[in-house]
Amino acid sequence: MKPASIVYLVTRIHGLRTHLVQQHDMQILTKARSMKEIGDNLIKTEYGTEISKLPAKEVDAVALEQIFLKTLVDRFLFVTREAQGKMQDLLNRYCERFDVENIKRVIRAKHSGEILEEPSLIPIPREHTLVNFPALLNSKDVEEVVSLLRETPYRPLAQKLETYKQATVTIVLEAALDDIYFSRVWELAGKVSDAEAVKELIGEEIDLRNLLIGLSMKIRDLSPNLIEETFTSSHHRIPRGRLQSLAQARLEDAPSLLATQPYSKLASEAVKISRGGSQMALEVPFLRQMYDDASKALRIHSFDAGYIIAYLMLCECEARNLVTITTGKQLGLSEDEISQATLGIQSKA
Amino acid sequence: MKRDNLAAETNRLLAKVGKRREFDKRLMAAYEVMKSAYTTLGYSRIQSEASAVGVLETKVRARSVMGVIVPEIVPGKIPPIISVTSASAYAAADRLKTLMPELLEIAEAEAKIESIAQELMMTNRKVNALERVLIPELMEQIRYIEGRLEEETLEEFFRAKRVKAVIRGKK
Repeated sequence: MKPASIVYLVTRIHGLRTHLVQQHDMQILTKARSMKEIGDNLIKTEYGTEISKLPAKEVDAVALEQIFLKTLVDRFLFVTREAQGKMQDLLNRYCERFDVENIKRVIRAKHSGEILEEPSLIPIPREHTLVNFPALLNSKDVEEVVSLLRETPYRPLAQKLETYKQATVTIVLEAALDDIYFSRVWELAGKVSDAEAVKELIGEEIDLRNLLIGLSMKIRDLSPNLIEETFTSSHHRIPRGRLQSLAQARLEDAPSLLATQPYSKLASEAVKISRGGSQMALEVPFLRQMYDDASKALRIHSFDAGYIIAYLMLCECEARNLVTITTGKQLGLSEDEISQATLGIQSKA
Repeated sequence: MKRDNLAAETNRLLAKVGKRREFDKRLMAAYEVMKSAYTTLGYSRIQSEASAVGVLETKVRARSVMGVIVPEIVPGKIPPIISVTSASAYAAADRLKTLMPELLEIAEAEAKIESIAQELMMTNRKVNALERVLIPELMEQIRYIEGRLEEETLEEFFRAKRVKAVIRGKK
């Protein structure tokens, strides 16, 4: 018997899912002739309220991206508020991905001594974050950023500070942040009702993240030690040992090393992209895989907690697709080019 | 002399600028990768990835070529892009990074050609003014003065002759 709170939340999300922008509407957006037309088409969606506040002249890809990200955060936080018990704890931790992305942005800017302002961050309401971002933005260097995070869940970052100073690459700290984030989410994923379905989705994200980072660093010919440093301690289907072998092996050997699908296919895709056989961004096939599986999960796990995580993943997918469309339009990309860059769009219920 | 030297310098620089067409193709290919990164990650993420890379500091010095002040770009060390974590942003940064020294070289050559061309135009105008106006006028003046002097010499000769005849008549 499922807890009533989960049944309630899943039912709410069945309703919320109908608010997602449908594939047909996405295709209409890719055909839009101007940014204003995109704005007009989105008026009836959940983005409408924010878009209508924008003066017509200020409707551009940058302003729209801020709206898409704000709406994404609002959607995540709404679902979190509606949840109860362990599910709420898990979703609270799941939402920390925005904190992590913002901390990474601050670290990158402080690393090169650039001034970063609040509009460059994902807008997270102050009451929903444990991180004091205004203080981080005012900090003088990466060391101060890490010390300001001492009272937050990101305290273990301090252990990587020495490695960062020696290697002077932010990858070390960014990987540590991912590790903290996924460890915290993974820890609770196994404790909620329908843990298997939840772990399947979150686990795949972890695997794909590790694989993407590992392969992209192999393409860059970085040292195996540094590559190993970037893998998360939590893993799902790709065990730690396999990832370590991947770090040591040649890029060409990656597909055979990752014998299981879809990882082997993705590795082959990465090899093809690295040889210039495809103009596609390396992230695209990995994200496509993740969101396609989330889309499938919506059908398979219609009545369990997996549905909640799948919905959140598709919200993220929608935001990414909208960013791709508006940015592509602003850069003058053709309809076909934009369609190729978009990720798997959710299928109809 | 100055015009010849400037023309020789321009020819030398034109060879560098001649690579521009082929360079433009590579630059456009890099921009395509950049566009792909932008559409995948969005403006704010790309901006953030870019902020992990330091600034490429270059010095622009003034140099004199036959008295013409031309800019000379001294590129600093290209900042490392290793901290760019996203695969697509890194691919774009890597392409642009390799093109940067050549881009600066072509920019410098074009700026030099612009300054030298300006100076050549001025020098040409001066030469034309000398050849077509000033020198012909001076030649005309020389001819006039020579004519006048010849006339005056003749007059003087006749005057002397006449004076001589008058003096002889009186005797």
